[in-house]
Amino acid sequence: MFSRPASPILRSAAWRISLWATLAFAIGTMLVFAMLHRFVADDIQRRSDAWLSGEVEVLGDVAARTPKNRLYSRVVGEIAELASREVPNRQRASGGDSGNDTVFFLQAREDGAVGLWVGSGDGAATLSAIRSTKALGNVPFDMRVAGVGIPFRVASVRIPDGSKIYLGLSERDELHVLRNLRVRFFTLWLVIVLLGFVIVFYATRRMLGHVREITEAASRIGQSDLSSRVPNTQSNDEIGHLARTLNHMLDRIENTVHQLHTITDSLAHDLRSPLTAIRGKLETTLSNELRIDQAEPIISAIDELDRLTEFLNTSLDVAEAKADALRLVRTEIDLDELLRGMMNLYEPSMSDKGLAVQIRSAGSVKVLADPALLHRVIANLFDNELKHVPASCTVWLSLESADDMGRLMVEDNGPGFDVGVGRDPFERRVRGRASKGHGLGLAFVEAVVRVHGGTVTATNRSEGGARLAVSLPLCRPQNREQTHTLALAKG
Amino acid sequence: MRLLLVEDEREIQSFVKQSLMEAGYEVDTAEDGATASRLAAKHAYHGLIVDLGLPDQDGIDLILQLRRIGITSPVLILSARRSVDDRVKGLELGGDDYLTKPFAIAELLARMRNLLRRNSTQREDVTRIRVCDLELDMLKRRATRAGEVLNLSPQEFGLLEYLCRHAGRVVTRSMLLAEVWGIRIQPDTNVVDVHIYRLRGKIDTEGREPLIKTLRGVGYVLKAS
Repeated sequence: MFSRPASPILRSAAWRISLWATLAFAIGTMLVFAMLHRFVADDIQRRSDAWLSGEVEVLGDVAARTPKNRLYSRVVGEIAELASREVPNRQRASGGDSGNDTVFFLQAREDGAVGLWVGSGDGAATLSAIRSTKALGNVPFDMRVAGVGIPFRVASVRIPDGSKIYLGLSERDELHVLRNLRVRFFTLWLVIVLLGFVIVFYATRRMLGHVREITEAASRIGQSDLSSRVPNTQSNDEIGHLARTLNHMLDRIENTVHQLHTITDSLAHDLRSPLTAIRGKLETTLSNELRIDQAEPIISAIDELDRLTEFLNTSLDVAEAKADALRLVRTEIDLDELLRGMMNLYEPSMSDKGLAVQIRSAGSVKVLADPALLHRVIANLFDNELKHVPASCTVWLSLESADDMGRLMVEDNGPGFDVGVGRDPFERRVRGRASKGHGLGLAFVEAVVRVHGGTVTATNRSEGGARLAVSLPLCRPQNREQTHTLALAKG
Repeated sequence: MRLLLVEDEREIQSFVKQSLMEAGYEVDTAEDGATASRLAAKHAYHGLIVDLGLPDQDGIDLILQLRRIGITSPVLILSARRSVDDRVKGLELGGDDYLTKPFAIAELLARMRNLLRRNSTQREDVTRIRVCDLELDMLKRRATRAGEVLNLSPQEFGLLEYLCRHAGRVVTRSMLLAEVWGIRIQPDTNVVDVHIYRLRGKIDTEGREPLIKTLRGVGYVLKAS
């Protein structure tokens, strides 16, 4: 089942299905993650904001109460230093000491100068960065200091002496947590998506493999092998169900076709036996020496009998062909050879009637067909021309092969198809006004060509006259394979 | 020559028997498989004519059964069935022949003759056929009448050859179609008649004795020497 070459995999339905399924899964999980990520980021920020607000409040209070003496900066600096030890989301193991760059404390005096700076880095640069950021009241905001890659979250409070206290918390830890989250997610996501793809691909491929087996079997059966069955998987799933349903249907079709054969066979048998007896008696009578006037009615009776027999045969053939139940014994036939043989047979009759015949053929066109039926098809086409085309007309026969089909065209410059026949000259018993036949000729042609997988079209030529085009599938070994892929592509 | 006719339809049996006897054969008849095997075991027949639809068994089974007990005489199978059974095809390959009902008596006789001749292994591979004052040179594919060369097309020569080989016997249209053109059809039009008419125009010229005779409703016959 998996022995097919690699290139059709990319075109297989399994590939497409798994690709789309994986894509949908990947996008879905990505969206879920985006929401989760946002939620986590918001939560971390809310916690740092709460800490910042509380802490800046405390520091503001301390700064306001501490007397403005020499000890002021030391006391406030100490408090600020202490506060920075309780930073939330703290992850750095090596942090420890005073040289921490996680938190800064800044007191900006009313005149815009740095009053007190606790933290690593440059207080003035930080202050100017704060000034350039549009802060809204007492809500914490994000701020970037030039030269420092990681942004700070800053909360502020104004103390009674007019100066403003800023407490900044580096977002490095927050970003670090989020980056870790993302990296882990993407790694896991990639593994799951790839694994999912592989699993979905093989599952669908296996499933569709069963479907393909069923299609192949069905197409074999379509080519008139009614006795074969779709491979029955033991499983109880949809595919197993499909196989069983198909087989059940095939049983019924085979039964029906068998019944049809029984009916036509017994009908043929029941009619042929008396016909044989009658014909035999007439012939025996004829073999006695009879006067012309006595022989004449017997001869015409024999003729009528033969016509009746032919009608019976053709009629049953058309009936079976219409029910797709015609029994075919296919062999390779060269249409070119057959056409020329048939032409040899019909040429004298044609020229006696004053019909000119021209054959255009590019050489051998081989089809796989039942010889007895195909001979009759071609003979019917010739008979049709002989009967319906008036003297001094021309009949063109052309044979060509194109696109896996052999095409035989019979054209003439006679009166064309009778409009009264309507659109379908292939319907049984549809005859032109002047027709003397039993009206089965073209119905037979159509029915036989159709069971061979071909088509027949009948049109009137624009320049006058009729055109009958018969297409039959060419005999090629790869034909079967193509029908399978076609059927699969459709399914 | 002695033949066994196995056919359950009385009327068919009677006229087939009559025609075979008129053609000079001795004919025994059987109406079912059991009688047929009994008769076949008792007498040596040169040929058998077996209908496929026998009341007690299938005709093919009967033939296979006879073959098993060592009866090798050729069999002409008659069938009213529409499809040609694969087993019949097998028999056909084995040298037996097959005829669908309804058939022309002339055809039945011709096929029986062919079968019997085939069996007697004296296939004449003549290079020259002479019928009355008609002479056919098979090597040069040339025909003369009373020494005068006839200008025949290859097809007409083939047609004349077939008639000559069956000189004095009736040949039907479907026999000609099958043997001369290799086509098994029942044409709706008189294509064969036109060929015969043309051939006759070249052979039976003014002032000569007409050799090709039309038996209307049956076929044609070439006068035997």
